[in-house]
Amino acid sequence: MTDATSTRIRPVTKKPVDYWRWSGRVFLVLLLIFTAMPMAWMLITSLKTGFAAMQYPPQWWPASPTLENYARLLDPRNSIGQDFLRYFWNSLWVSTATTILAIIVAVPAAYAFSRFRFPGRTFLFFSVLLRNMFPAIVFLVPLFILMRLLGLVNTHGSLILTYLTFGLPLAIWLLKGFYDNIPIQLEQAARIDGATRFQAFLYIVMPLSTPGIIATAIYSFIGAWNEYIYAYTFLTKHDQMTLPVGIQRFFSENATDWPGLMAATFMMSVPVVVLFLVLQKYFVQALTEGAVKH
Amino acid sequence: MAEVVLEHVMKNYGSLYAVNDVSFTVNDGEFVALVGPSGCGKTTTLNLIAGLLPISGGDIAIGNRVVNDLDPKDRDIAMVFQNYALYPNKTVFNNLAFPLQMRKLPKAEIATKVAEAARILDITHLLERKPRELSGGQQQRVALGRALVRDPLVFLMDEPLSNLDAKLRVQMRSEIKRFHHNLGATIIYVTHDQLEAVTMADKMAVMNGGFLQQYDTPAQVFANPVNMFVASFVGSPAMSLISLQAVSRGTDMVLQSAEGWELPLSPTNAQKARLSTTKNVVLGARHSTLKLHKSQVPGSVPGKIYTVEPTGDVTFAQVFIAEAVVNISVDPSVHLSPDEPVWIEFDQERVHLFDAETTSALTVR
Repeated sequence: MTDATSTRIRPVTKKPVDYWRWSGRVFLVLLLIFTAMPMAWMLITSLKTGFAAMQYPPQWWPASPTLENYARLLDPRNSIGQDFLRYFWNSLWVSTATTILAIIVAVPAAYAFSRFRFPGRTFLFFSVLLRNMFPAIVFLVPLFILMRLLGLVNTHGSLILTYLTFGLPLAIWLLKGFYDNIPIQLEQAARIDGATRFQAFLYIVMPLSTPGIIATAIYSFIGAWNEYIYAYTFLTKHDQMTLPVGIQRFFSENATDWPGLMAATFMMSVPVVVLFLVLQKYFVQALTEGAVKH
Repeated sequence: MAEVVLEHVMKNYGSLYAVNDVSFTVNDGEFVALVGPSGCGKTTTLNLIAGLLPISGGDIAIGNRVVNDLDPKDRDIAMVFQNYALYPNKTVFNNLAFPLQMRKLPKAEIATKVAEAARILDITHLLERKPRELSGGQQQRVALGRALVRDPLVFLMDEPLSNLDAKLRVQMRSEIKRFHHNLGATIIYVTHDQLEAVTMADKMAVMNGGFLQQYDTPAQVFANPVNMFVASFVGSPAMSLISLQAVSRGTDMVLQSAEGWELPLSPTNAQKARLSTTKNVVLGARHSTLKLHKSQVPGSVPGKIYTVEPTGDVTFAQVFIAEAVVNISVDPSVHLSPDEPVWIEFDQERVHLFDAETTSALTVR
């Protein structure tokens, strides 16, 4: 009966240690330390006083943690706070504008590349990638001259345009992949059900490509948010600088305010981290599961 | 409901003609199956009727209105896709409601119509679910529901059963047939499965290589195939075709095999054989019209058993005759073994003769 079989003593077999699995885990832990340590150290330093930050041997944990650095950065009444908030605002504006424009252009472009057959389609599609085949720095001088001709030097417009040239190619390629995965029958069904081609796109295709659009948006936001060299070259006025350039001001010739710098850097990473945390589920969401039988 | 008329419809991609001069009329309330092997142009024809592809030549009329240049949404049609094409981000209710919402019907009316369609298809309990939470058969029903909720002029169905498992397919087959009967709907149904076409349709349009081969009732197509393609495509197992030579023996005609045996023809069949452009004719016979003998009888021809396929209530013997393999159904009690010599008797009333050059059926009028 069942009793007899279930109470029978099984021979104890020693499972062999899976060395591959364990070495994999060790590797992942090392990788985690490698990526997380700088962030942790940044956060710890930002909580120290200026004197404590320079001590040797270092204080692994701040003896007297303080939020003074953050208070200073976020206080619009002193000059450092004013500058920091202005840079932050500039970065936010440039990155958001870049992202919105990139999506507005990339969505129809990617859809067209995915769905329509037109003369020069392949050529156009690969020429979109041309920009990405060269290091960004190569275009620094040509783009600067171009911006000067357009009268855009020292405006945020120059940065937005530049970031678009970087972000768009990948955005279009990424989104085309998403549209390729949406069965064309869904649009055909919608058109037969009474929708125009545009309505089919709006009501059926767009909602399904939301994860793709969000992934693309995050990508182009981060690209614009972190960019340094163009912002450094195109903008010379203080009140227009973006965060990566502005943070430089915490390095002065004689002494660097390390805690202040770390606090500013940490705050700079906040929007990106928040974006990821809020929207990460879209990255993993299965795109059109259940739409069609494969 | 309405009739659908195709006149000299063409669709070409450069020099490649996917649909070549296809004309037929689907009468009001008729169930027509477009059938043929892969790449024969049947789905392209359906997409032309739906307006999903631009037509290259000819005319398509739905309900006395030429629709060549109309958008799909203006043709008043409904379509069921092979992969169902249910909107994955919408609930079943919203899938059914979508065609009505697009036509800006009042909300209350939409709710009534969706409820009615759901009741007919027995999917009321699924209305709040998303398509991915449904089984294949349920998705199929929802797809049908989305088509019928709007009461369109014509239903177009593109291989709607081919993604279902065998058992469910048979069940849905009768449900669609019942659906047609109850609604009196005009249905154009694409399938590669001739059995589906024969069992469900009022008429079948057999296509091959972009050309319409034959358009008639399944019984007519089965009994009088116009050419060798139709003969071998319709019916399961397929009609057996044997290449022979027609030779005159005085006033009579015989069919002569390369092996040397001769099959005397009846006067009618002799008349048909004389119509052939060359001496080469092809003799066609369905498995049920042939008789298998273990010893020679007058008028029979010799062959050799190739394989035997018992199916339970009938056994199919495949017999080598004149370099062709011929299917014959025999009683399961008959014992046959491979390579056993047998004799085949033809039913002169029910054999088909084809011109080997043109592949057309030889008929006397």
